[in-house]
Amino acid sequence: MTGKGRLDLVERLTNECIDVCLAVLRGRKYLAPLLDPSFRVHKLQRAVNEQKTAVGEMESAVDRIMTAVERMSEIDFTDSDAAAQRVGECCIEVMEACCFQDITGQRMSQVSETLGAVEDTLNFLSDGLDESTLPESKTLLNGPALPGGGMEQDVADEILADDEGKQEARG
Amino acid sequence: MAVDMKMPILIVDDYKTMLRIVRNLLNKLGFSDIDEATDGTDALTKLKSRRYGLIISDWNMQPMTGYELLQKVRANESTKSLPFVMVTAESKVENVIAARKAGVNNYIIKPFSAEVLKAKLKTVLGDF
Repeated sequence: MTGKGRLDLVERLTNECIDVCLAVLRGRKYLAPLLDPSFRVHKLQRAVNEQKTAVGEMESAVDRIMTAVERMSEIDFTDSDAAAQRVGECCIEVMEACCFQDITGQRMSQVSETLGAVEDTLNFLSDGLDESTLPESKTLLNGPALPGGGMEQDVADEILADDEGKQEARG
Repeated sequence: MAVDMKMPILIVDDYKTMLRIVRNLLNKLGFSDIDEATDGTDALTKLKSRRYGLIISDWNMQPMTGYELLQKVRANESTKSLPFVMVTAESKVENVIAARKAGVNNYIIKPFSAEVLKAKLKTVLGDF
C-alpha cells in the first residue's frame, strides 16, 4: 500500500469511528430518559406494582363473585320473600365486585403506557435514530392509587365538607 | 320535598361495565329513567336534547374528561344548578379540591359499595 493509500484508509477509519461515537452519543441522549432513576422508580417500578395489584384485585373480585354465587345456590326458596331478599343482596355483591374491571383496566393502561415508552425508544434506536419515529409524550391522569397510597372515601368527604363549611362561613 | 324517582339520570363513563354497574345499582335504589354517555362530549350532546335531574360521571375519559364536563355544565345557564356527582378512581386530594371548586356536589371514589352510592345520592338529592 502506498503512503497515500494508507492515509486514505486512516482517514476513512477515523471518520467511521467518529460516526460510531456520534451514534453512541445520540443513542445515549435518547436512552437517558429510560436510564433516569425517576423513570425506573416511578414508571417501571410503578408498572410492576400496578400489575401485581391488578392481579390481586382480580383474585379478590372473583372470590367475592364466587362467594355471592355460592350463597345464592344455598338459598332456601321455601320462604320466597326471604329468598328474594337474599338474592337481591347477592346481586348487589356481584355488581360491586365487578367494579374491578374499571380499576384493573386503568392499572393495565399505566403498564401499557410504560412498556410503550420502552418499546418506542428501542424502535427508535433500531431504526437508526430517526427522530420522526419518536412519538409525542402524553400526559395522563394519575389513575387508581396503589394500596396504601390513595385517599379513602372519608378523606374525600372531609375535604368536601370542609370546603362547604368555609363557603358557608364566607356567606 | 320527596325525591322524584322517575327523574332522568345521566351516567357518564367510558367503561361499559361501569355504566352497567351504576345503572343496575340505580335501578335497585328505585330510579328507573337512566341514560348513558361514554364521555363528556357525548354527555353534552345528550344534555342539549333532554333535561336531567342528576349527572353521575367518571373523571378519566377521552376526549372530554368528567372534570371538563363539570366545568361546561356549570358554565351553562340551563344546567348550572344540575346536581353532579363524580365517581372516579382518581383519588388525589388535588382532584377532589379541583372538583369541589368547579362545583361538584359529591365525589365517590372507586371501587364503591351500593351503600356509599345511596348515601351520597341522599346527600345530594335528599332522602328517598
